[in-house]
Amino acid sequence: MPFSLHLEDWRGWIADEEVHNPAPSHRISAQLGSTLPAMLRRRLDDAGRATCDILEALDPNADFPLVHASRHGDTTHTLEMLEALARGEPISPTRFSMSVHNAVLGVHSISRKHHRPMQALGACGDEFDAILHEAKGYLVEGHRAVVAVLSEAPLPSAYQGHTEHPGIACAVGIRLTLDRGRRLMASDPVGAAHPTPLEVMSWLNGDAPFLDGRHRWQLGAE
Amino acid sequence: MSETHDDLSIELKHLIIETLELEDVALGDIDPDAPLFGEGLGLDSIDALELGLALQKRFGIKLDAEAEETRRHFSSLNALKALVETRRVD
Repeated sequence: MPFSLHLEDWRGWIADEEVHNPAPSHRISAQLGSTLPAMLRRRLDDAGRATCDILEALDPNADFPLVHASRHGDTTHTLEMLEALARGEPISPTRFSMSVHNAVLGVHSISRKHHRPMQALGACGDEFDAILHEAKGYLVEGHRAVVAVLSEAPLPSAYQGHTEHPGIACAVGIRLTLDRGRRLMASDPVGAAHPTPLEVMSWLNGDAPFLDGRHRWQLGAE
Repeated sequence: MSETHDDLSIELKHLIIETLELEDVALGDIDPDAPLFGEGLGLDSIDALELGLALQKRFGIKLDAEAEETRRHFSSLNALKALVETRRVD
């Protein structure tokens, strides 16, 4: 088995409080972005703010490499820019500057003075497995832990029905190590799937016995 | 203080807050003589570009991003107001 990763801790966020949120010990403050200075917070949407709060909760001393994965990123603002261009109007410099996939990590890095490695990735639905591969690389290099967040922002109505999406803004973060926490065990899935943050949270909550991605993932005993 | 309550000052404060999404800043927080960038309000270079675009859309004022005088026009709310009063084409 190629992996010997362990899950030390996790946090989750779902935009709708009526939906099955994570247990209180795995939630972030309902005051989104409270870990960010106001002048940085204004640049992020709720999913970006939640991502920064989760990163801060799992890496409070800015010690660990960070990975931020999102399949779609901030499609609302990307689409707004495309529509402005189509109308022949100038696009917002702020929106343009924030339209890169690593923008959220950039804001977090400035806010927390985080100087460890960080990377943003999108993997056409295979983000969860990609996160684990990247984490493994950092851990084998000697980092004590890696913190990774998988997030999705709301999908504009124009895109709905044309791609897989959890249907709601959500984010889940995990702190991975080589030897502390619950062991992550990989086996071949019955059918490969594209897990969203919602499915990862259900699995971490214990509501689902396994998580299907490129592998079938199960958690060892606490 | 009285000169800061005129319509153009208030319009510019609204423009700054809305354009730059300063969700935690109230009209009264913007000191008309304090620096807008760096110290004072604490805006950054992206905000300068955004504000330049807003002035173009609202007042038809085109500024050269590289020019030294642009820096002076953006030095405070009152400097911005003076710019709009002399250069507006609406």
